[in-house]
Amino acid sequence: MLSEGLIFAIMVATFMATAFGFKFPIGVCLAIASTAGAISAGEGIALRHLVEGSFGYLNTILVIGAAMMFMKAIQKSGLLDTVARWLVETFYRSRVLLLVGLTVLVMFPGMITGSSTASVLTAGALVAPVLMALGVPRKRTAAMIAMAGIYGMLAPPVNIPAMIIGGGIDMPYVGFGLPLLFATLPLAIAVSVILGLPHMKRLTGIDDIRDELPESYHKTYGLRLYVPFIVLVVLMTGPNILPGRFPDLGMPLVFLISAVVACLTGRPTNMWRIAREAVHDSLPVMGILMGVGMFIQVMTLTGVRGWVVANALGMPKALLYVAMAISMPAFGAVSAFGSSSVLGVPFILALLGTHNEIVATAALTLLAGLGDLVPPTALAGIFAAQVVDEKNYFTVLRECVIPFVLTAVWAVIILRWSTPLARILVR
Amino acid sequence: MQHGRHKWSALILTALAAAVVLTTGAQFRQMHRDEVIVPGPGVTQTRMLSDYFPALAGTTGDTEVYILDGEEPGATAFVLGGTHPNEPSGLMAAVILVERAQVKAGRLIVVPRGNRSGFTHNDPQEGSPQYFRLTASDGSARTFRFGSRATNPLDQWPDPDTYINPSGQKLSGSENRNLNRAYPGRPDGTHTERVAYAIMELIREENADVSVDLHEASPEYPVIHAIVAHEGAEDLAAMTVMDLDMEDIRMRLEKSPPTFYGLSHREWGDYSDTMAVLMETANPSQGRLRGRTDEALVLTGQDALYVRAAELGRLYVPYDDEGHPLEERVGRHLSSLAALFRNMEFVGDGEPFVIEEVPSFDEVMANGVGYYLNPAPARD
Repeated sequence: MLSEGLIFAIMVATFMATAFGFKFPIGVCLAIASTAGAISAGEGIALRHLVEGSFGYLNTILVIGAAMMFMKAIQKSGLLDTVARWLVETFYRSRVLLLVGLTVLVMFPGMITGSSTASVLTAGALVAPVLMALGVPRKRTAAMIAMAGIYGMLAPPVNIPAMIIGGGIDMPYVGFGLPLLFATLPLAIAVSVILGLPHMKRLTGIDDIRDELPESYHKTYGLRLYVPFIVLVVLMTGPNILPGRFPDLGMPLVFLISAVVACLTGRPTNMWRIAREAVHDSLPVMGILMGVGMFIQVMTLTGVRGWVVANALGMPKALLYVAMAISMPAFGAVSAFGSSSVLGVPFILALLGTHNEIVATAALTLLAGLGDLVPPTALAGIFAAQVVDEKNYFTVLRECVIPFVLTAVWAVIILRWSTPLARILVR
Repeated sequence: MQHGRHKWSALILTALAAAVVLTTGAQFRQMHRDEVIVPGPGVTQTRMLSDYFPALAGTTGDTEVYILDGEEPGATAFVLGGTHPNEPSGLMAAVILVERAQVKAGRLIVVPRGNRSGFTHNDPQEGSPQYFRLTASDGSARTFRFGSRATNPLDQWPDPDTYINPSGQKLSGSENRNLNRAYPGRPDGTHTERVAYAIMELIREENADVSVDLHEASPEYPVIHAIVAHEGAEDLAAMTVMDLDMEDIRMRLEKSPPTFYGLSHREWGDYSDTMAVLMETANPSQGRLRGRTDEALVLTGQDALYVRAAELGRLYVPYDDEGHPLEERVGRHLSSLAALFRNMEFVGDGEPFVIEEVPSFDEVMANGVGYYLNPAPARD
């Protein structure tokens, strides 16, 4: 029987050969690599496992399709252009304030829903044209939105990786507010200033860029133009604000309803064309996610997943922080939530007794969240690229390298000093 | 020309997809067939959970409730297996009670498949086997399902981003299909919350003096080889742990955390008069550090990666090449239950609970789990 290490090597080699040699679509390469892994472990083609693994992302796939429809609908209705123009006309006087304000705006949907995708595809889509109109290059804009989306996903009140790690050690999701704010907000502000400020134009008056701004449709359609966004925010935040009294429709249906509303409240649009375009544009990402699902299922089936986790935990104590800083984002390529469950729980168990578990968990979620920037899944990067109409999401990920490193270093600092920090942050 | 080629490739791919759907669909569908449980002579009545909460009738949440009435009056005990269908020792200990136990004084109520819906699927990306097989007392094969920790999404979907359970605890969204986060349940809630509510109704209606929820945990989880007790059951649990210690079976006593809501050991005790207890054994087939995931791992509990993790000091149970086989885990549950039942007359109203034909830890270790199962009927 082959060792887990060898099976993993076969899976990775097959993926590389099919992706870079034959240039097959990434999703197909992952499916072939998974099959190769199953066969080399003596499991045959393991059809049941391939199908079952891909179902792990069913909900995400539906969210992607529906969110893409919403994004296209508000682009075509004129809402996106109108809001972008209004934001610049209102806040152009202070560059830093404008940057911080826009960053918090992008973070907001993630803070409420716990999803970076929600942030990037909703507020991110609104803010992207503003940043570009202010002089921030397209790829840099996408990077700023991706990072803000990730920080939003991790900022309080809703941080799902923290809930997942807490669930693994019977730690209730209580007392996380300040630690999570400390982990995310300073980073979010610093990163937006580092990435955005050098490129932003110094405006003496709005007339400097008025011609570059997108058109406003406010006068034509009035307040009804904004109804889709209001519907989205209400349906998305309602279940958290009024738990048990407000129906939780699920993100896919919320995006779909809001998309339909957008088709009826602004510039005339063809609903069917929007749906077709959205599904067409989302298919590669959906394929990647299904492939990743198969890959991780076969990794688990063959023992490769356990081998990776055991090796990470087996690092010498001095290297434990390094192991966390590398392995958690790397595993986040599968999903930030998967990384929290598979690696976050064993890591927090390894820290129990020597670290404050709440502050340490907050730091670990920063590392898990970075997984949303790690290919092939790289959800935040992929969506941010789509928001700015950038075809190659790797160019966006390159722009994220400095914030990525900064976030990992910040997480390690918080981990190292979790106990003294807890005296200030945990009540 | 190119359009024609695309048409053909689309047709071929569609046919391939249909073949995959049909093949795997049949495998997934098979999981909806309940494993056979063969009630022994001790079972005096078989009811359904919907008898306690009629709204469950006809749903996947409805499940058998086996009642074993004693010849003499005494205390009432309730045992729940299968809360998490990927923790097979809970199911098997409950099944052995149904198939073997005989109550002399008191009343035993057993639900082997607490979350029946969870038995109908596996968790995606966990690579779990669908079944494990045991050899019954007459040499026939008995097959049991290795299910999921959570309710099947076919019965409850989609998951919210965050789940606020009936006690107001905020949890990650996927926990909304976890029966052991849904207590005390809601009569008008989700599928899982309604099952939780029905179980609460059973405990209240039957006036269960003690209620036990049988679980397993991964070896890296701190609460393991443990009895978790609600404050109302602390004395009983302490006596049980001491009894087990004398039998050389080490079980830790853990207090039910007062602020971790939704769990059986907390809410059963808070929302009824029962003494609520939860028991945990060590199951590597649900752990994060496990190697190859298959039926052998479920049965033998042997895993080289866990041996290595134990050497690194990352586990909360000893782990060597012998592993933690199913017989050890089921034996541990059965001996813990027997000790708990013995001590019932020393707590509460002092009513006795006398039960026989429950195999001990040593007996299950010597003979295996299948030895205590009745012969399989023809359809199994």
